[in-house]
Amino acid sequence: MKTLLNILLAAALAVSAGAKDIKLLNVSYDPTRELYVEYNAAFAKYWQAKTNDSVTVSQSHGGSGKQAQAVVNGLEADVVTLALAYDIDAIAKQAKLLPADWQKRLPNNSTPYTSTIVFLVRKGNPKGIKDWNDVVKKGVSVVTANPKTSGGARWAYLAAWAYALENNNHDEAKAKEFVTQLFHNVPVLDSGARGSTVTFVQREIGDVLLAWENEAHLALKEFGADKFEIVTPSLSILAEPPVAVVDKNARRHGTTEVANEYLKYLYSEEGQDIAGKNFYRPRSEAAAAKYAANFNQLKLVTIDGEFGGWAKAQKAHFADGGTFDQIYQP
Amino acid sequence: MKLNKLWLAAILGAQLTFTALAADGTNDTNRDADIEALKQQLRELSQKVQALESQRAADQQAATEAAKVQNQELDQKVRILARERELDQEAAAATAKTQPKLTVGSNGVIASSADSNFVFRLNGLVQVDSRTFFKDSDIKSNDGFLLRRARPIFQGTLYRDFDFVFVPDFGGSSVQIFDAYANYRYEPWAQLRAGKFKTPEGLEQLQADVNTAFNERSLVTDLVPNRDVGIQFWGDIDGGVLSYAAGIFNGVGDTRNSNNSAFENSVEFAGRLFAQPFKNSDLVALQGLGFGVAGTSQNGTSSANDLPNNNGYTTDGQQQFFAYNPSNRVVTASGEHWRLSPQGYYYYGPLSLLGEYAISHQGVKSTSSSAPKVENASLNNTAWEISGGWVLTGENASFTGVTPLHPFDPHLGQWGAFQVVARYAELNIDDNAFKYFANPATSASAAQAWSAGLNWFLNKNIRLNASFSHTTFTGGGSSNATTAPGVVTRQPENVFFTRIQLAF
Repeated sequence: MKTLLNILLAAALAVSAGAKDIKLLNVSYDPTRELYVEYNAAFAKYWQAKTNDSVTVSQSHGGSGKQAQAVVNGLEADVVTLALAYDIDAIAKQAKLLPADWQKRLPNNSTPYTSTIVFLVRKGNPKGIKDWNDVVKKGVSVVTANPKTSGGARWAYLAAWAYALENNNHDEAKAKEFVTQLFHNVPVLDSGARGSTVTFVQREIGDVLLAWENEAHLALKEFGADKFEIVTPSLSILAEPPVAVVDKNARRHGTTEVANEYLKYLYSEEGQDIAGKNFYRPRSEAAAAKYAANFNQLKLVTIDGEFGGWAKAQKAHFADGGTFDQIYQP
Repeated sequence: MKLNKLWLAAILGAQLTFTALAADGTNDTNRDADIEALKQQLRELSQKVQALESQRAADQQAATEAAKVQNQELDQKVRILARERELDQEAAAATAKTQPKLTVGSNGVIASSADSNFVFRLNGLVQVDSRTFFKDSDIKSNDGFLLRRARPIFQGTLYRDFDFVFVPDFGGSSVQIFDAYANYRYEPWAQLRAGKFKTPEGLEQLQADVNTAFNERSLVTDLVPNRDVGIQFWGDIDGGVLSYAAGIFNGVGDTRNSNNSAFENSVEFAGRLFAQPFKNSDLVALQGLGFGVAGTSQNGTSSANDLPNNNGYTTDGQQQFFAYNPSNRVVTASGEHWRLSPQGYYYYGPLSLLGEYAISHQGVKSTSSSAPKVENASLNNTAWEISGGWVLTGENASFTGVTPLHPFDPHLGQWGAFQVVARYAELNIDDNAFKYFANPATSASAAQAWSAGLNWFLNKNIRLNASFSHTTFTGGGSSNATTAPGVVTRQPENVFFTRIQLAF
């Protein structure tokens, strides 16, 4: 009996001792599709060379807020790479799938790359849009997503607010009036940034798209520089999309180690180069220098400096009954 | 158009006047002045016409521009409406994904929350059998139809990882709860089950009732437990390459189905290891090879539940051929009871093979008012079987049944799947059983059975069986017996089975 058991156990171990086929789910925000397609391939190659295990990373994309809620509701993400820290905070707070101090676990507050909000206009810039004050003019049709569900739209909203404060002696009432006028010019709200790009680029709606910088560059690359132009405003906001391992899910899937390495590799030279190539502003000096020509210089305010952090900004502007609910009437 | 007519009329008028004056020819001076005046008029008229034409072109240009702007605005409005409709449809599709789902199909009725964390399934099993015995003139009332199984099956999932199963049976002569358990699934390889369910022992017994090759399981299943109440840690490693189960149960006798509160003074330990080493390999011919070993062990058995069902063993035709019922003595379980069962199967395309050996080591005590008043023994009863099948219509056979490639539909010329099956099995009673623990005049010391049958899978849910089973006996067969097992062992058993099975 004992010998038979030993034989069975040995046979089972021999069968299962080979290289592992690991599966990860990266739940991300809307415009990172192309970035992570390229990055996932690079990481899989790196991990296989290092461990002989193969890694297949599945991607899920959508508005950052919606994606965070999906994880809270049970979408089994091993890692999240969202548009803003508040959305990962929500996962930590509501579902307790990772610790509250998750942002301290990786360099730069767990934000391996940055971006900002720029304008994408039609070729020749027929409405002469140069800065935020042109966007709010009567007759200018503006395309952006719903800040309630889209991280990019929240960054754009706050960038406009910051511009209005800057040009109105930090008068909050005038800033509110300014952003009210801006959203008065918005004919349709998508739920995510990629959706609003489709609205502007493919459905040919509107005069200007408030876009992630990488998304604007991607539109030029995909649909032709003969059709669109990027306009960099005088002031915008420093967007810092964060990343985190969803500890409890990864632990249950047995993927904690590879999930951690997956995110750490974003900070490697290869990871940073891929970020730069996909029009995200890399953290590493080498990659930043290499891709500097892609990024115009402009004044960038920060969420902490201008709005007192995401928790405060969220509560004031995007929570139910907040400023956005007051100014936007569909 | 009007301007052109005016211009022509002016030129015509001037020409007529000029002609008239020329014809007159009397006053050159006046005529020159008149001509000059007319020329002046013509120039003025020409300028007016040009001005009017310019005005008209400007008006047309303005109208065109206005129309263009209007068209652009209309175009944008149409595009916005179309996009809003598109977004509404996307939102509706997204909302639909969050709604509970209800499906009705060959897998039963399934209600599920949108995220599948909560699932409720209603399945059912009905088996209507017939048994016809040949050359058994001494046995009365064993032919006829019976409702072998009639089970609604309630099962589902709560909070994603907790499963439950509840299966009452309305077949046979009384209503029983067959399965009632909860299962926590930490991972497929680490699960915990508690309640009433099949003891992890016999391979044929562990095969679902809907998928067995014959109406009745073979003689080897006489020596393994059926359902019992207990708790079991189990799992499938690497998708079933290795499966294990280890549990603690109340302990029941061979073939016995525990009642719901079968208390014992000792518990039964049960464990099973089963390997399918090539399941995930590229060796297709060996992917369906599985083998393993299972065992149970219990000390201090003494209750009525610890002897076999009805204190004996039955044939394929469910007739008792052996019983612990010696003359003038009472037999009870006593002491150690353990079982060991090496087992295996092989499935490759339409071919199926299943083999199993079982030994049941049973401690027994025989008491009587006459000497010897108490007699103890440890009996080793053994059994084995080998069965095989071939799906004539080419479908793959498997431990979980046959799914027809072309479900029965005579309108389309489709007839489902047909499978032929055959089996040989033996059961041998320990020689020490006779005299004090069993009556050698009535009980057989061994039974050998062969069976052959045809299974017709009309579709995934409906199956018809027909089979014949022939069992011979060693010993027993007393001509004085009036009840089983004596009347059963008096002649070989020949029984023809049919079954109509509905399972969903």
